[in-house]
Amino acid sequence: MARQQGWVAFILVLAIASGVLLATYGLQLGLDLRGGSQLTLQVMPAGAILKVESEQLEAVKEVLERRINGLGVAESTLQTIGTDQLILQLPGEQNPGRAAKVLGSTALLEFKAQKPGTEKEMQGLLQLKRQAEAVLAAKQPKTTSTESGLPPPPPKPQLAPEDLAKSLRALGLSVPEGSSETDQIEVLLAEVNRRVVALYGPTLLSGKDLTSAGRQQNATGNAWDVTLGFNREGGEKFASLTQAIAGTGRLLGIVLDGRSISEASVGAEFKAAGIAGGAASITGNFTADEARDLEVQLRGGSLPLPVKIVEVRTIGPSLGAENIRTSLLAALSGLVLVGVFMVLVYRLPGVVSVLALSLYALYNLAVYSLIPVTLTLPGIAGFILSVGMAVDANVLIFERVKEELRSGNTLIRSIDTGFARAFSSIFDGHITGLISCTALFFLGTGLVKGFAVTLAIGLLLSLFTALTCTRSLLRLLMSYPALRRPTYFLPAAQLPASAA
Amino acid sequence: MLSSPAPVPAPILAAIPIRYMRISRHRRLAWIASAIACGLSLLGLALCWLNPAIASPLKPGLDFTGGTQIQVERRCQNACAELSVSQLQQRLGDLSLPPVPGETSPNLSSSAVQVLDGGRSLLLRLPALSADQSTALIEELTPVTGPLKTSATSINTIGPTLGSRLLQGSIVSLLVSFAAIAVYISFMYNGVFAFLALLCLAHDVLITCGVFAWLGLLQGIEVDSLFAVSLITVAGYSVTDTVVIYDRIREQRKLLADLPLIDQVDVAVDATLTRSLYTSLTTLLPLFGLLFFGGSSLFWFAVALIIGIAVGSWSSIGLAPTLLPVLSRR
Repeated sequence: MARQQGWVAFILVLAIASGVLLATYGLQLGLDLRGGSQLTLQVMPAGAILKVESEQLEAVKEVLERRINGLGVAESTLQTIGTDQLILQLPGEQNPGRAAKVLGSTALLEFKAQKPGTEKEMQGLLQLKRQAEAVLAAKQPKTTSTESGLPPPPPKPQLAPEDLAKSLRALGLSVPEGSSETDQIEVLLAEVNRRVVALYGPTLLSGKDLTSAGRQQNATGNAWDVTLGFNREGGEKFASLTQAIAGTGRLLGIVLDGRSISEASVGAEFKAAGIAGGAASITGNFTADEARDLEVQLRGGSLPLPVKIVEVRTIGPSLGAENIRTSLLAALSGLVLVGVFMVLVYRLPGVVSVLALSLYALYNLAVYSLIPVTLTLPGIAGFILSVGMAVDANVLIFERVKEELRSGNTLIRSIDTGFARAFSSIFDGHITGLISCTALFFLGTGLVKGFAVTLAIGLLLSLFTALTCTRSLLRLLMSYPALRRPTYFLPAAQLPASAA
Repeated sequence: MLSSPAPVPAPILAAIPIRYMRISRHRRLAWIASAIACGLSLLGLALCWLNPAIASPLKPGLDFTGGTQIQVERRCQNACAELSVSQLQQRLGDLSLPPVPGETSPNLSSSAVQVLDGGRSLLLRLPALSADQSTALIEELTPVTGPLKTSATSINTIGPTLGSRLLQGSIVSLLVSFAAIAVYISFMYNGVFAFLALLCLAHDVLITCGVFAWLGLLQGIEVDSLFAVSLITVAGYSVTDTVVIYDRIREQRKLLADLPLIDQVDVAVDATLTRSLYTSLTTLLPLFGLLFFGGSSLFWFAVALIIGIAVGSWSSIGLAPTLLPVLSRR
């Protein structure tokens, strides 16, 4: 008896602790329940690295965290998933485009000098590039150049369709039949860029030597420049680089992620010492937003490995609220159905099992809040399912108790034997379940992994509540003689004549 | 062959406690029913595979094929103005989206458009778009659709590599967990028990897949990553359900050691019949709650689980115990 009361006290303390825990920390809701954006970033192996190791993943994460902080999104979280993925959650963010742009690029900044003897080819390519960009700008009223209101383009010849076709042929490109003009120009620009970059010499200075990045409006006031500050070594490199090409007509190329974003000439006045002072600016005709994004990327440093955005999910806040409403309704209706069923079929123990299940649900949610498990829509479905499965243990026990009663055992003895005999089947069932969870957790990805965690928590807790809570509560009730009636367990017709 | 039980002396036969039925009397029926269900499932999977529009055993959804799915809700006063699919498709064809450097612009002419809730909401299935392109596309739709409720928009973009990784991960983890379960059951019971538990599991998973193959063929229902999760759950539940009956068979083998296995099995199945049905029922009840009230995103998840758990309950009563004496004899 004393032991029983000890268990009941323990269960009550646990219940109160769970309640307090839930009230203090609450549940962490997934983005599908509260609205927002979630981006999954895949770290790609590159160069000599064939497989992404955990240090590299951490290094990528660090850089991305700096960039996210630079973006100033509240409450964002960045988690590593598996061996080579990161998940970024942006609660409340309805337009993840900017974050995607800032996070998705490597931001490897390189300064290169044009190779000698390539001036003519470079000039031709750059002219073609400007023409093509002008056509694109005219087609895309929203994108960069027009908004920034370039200094009125010195007669920028439009690229006529015939000229475009000719240029494509000249560069040895073929485009699929019937592709749009925009696509053709994109193909052209990509090739022009590849050739421009090929005309540069080796990288003489990179973003590693940066100490600061900023932005400022350029002299015309229409476009933005990105300003750079180098460390001492970087400043020296920049000076010698500019000195080498000053006055030669060769260009200084600024290459970001393999894309030439600025080609600058260095005036002859720097012939003597190069551009000293450890500072430079990139005049790339940026819009205010573009300049800010580049600044954030450069400050955060370049990524040690490129990342690719493999998944973007955006959910509006009212959809999230709707999801909470429907899943709550589903959970409650399902649980009420189970409760009614248990009470109708098992009578007094059925009531006890409803109590035990409520405790199960409470403990489960408390563990979710403790770990913490982010509650998503599928997570709630898994939780509802786990309650249905947790009842199974109670059904197994009570059926066994009924059998013992039918075969003429006394009530207390039937209860004890029922629990003892049902134990092995409950235990085996839970162990096989836990085996699957372990395999799913270590081998599965993302969604599957989360599901395995919630299912394993549910299985462990249901083992505890079925064997401990149900039992102690039932034993406690049996200490009241008024409740010690077999008919509270079984219809009288099924009892052997002697016991009724 | 499948011989009927050896004649047993009358007094012992009377001692066999049977309340409802002897499962062995109905075993041929059970086997035939399961064989037909498995055959139909295989046929559904094969037809799906041969269907040029699907070309895989199940119709893969966005999670596995990759792409962008956009759902928007229109802001309408009372009734929403008529909106035809062709109107929308034409609009999509005319759009030009902000380009992504180094990539050709996506071809939107093959997009699928669905008008739901009497024109209130729209579901678009598109090739994979960047985050910027998705937002731009929604803005560009407004001339046709009228104002949209931004708070009710959902955009999902999934790269094609993600789906195949998910699929691989789930299959590998499933196989490993099967192997581990087989080892556990062989250790606690014996190899035949383990083999039959896995056979039942394969039976349950096959029929669940088969139903979705037919749904894909006839109704265009697609499977998503939640379907993979439901299969894993069904597999786990199937084994648990079977183990509960095994446990009773093991007990009867001790209690009724003099009887042939077939009678031990009959007694065990009969004694556990109510609880087998009740445990399945208590698991199904919350799922019906999910089915009726859980909203569209969980509807097919609930369907898959309900089918799988019902079939799992069937196979653990009608299949594993009835095959046990047949296989153990050899």
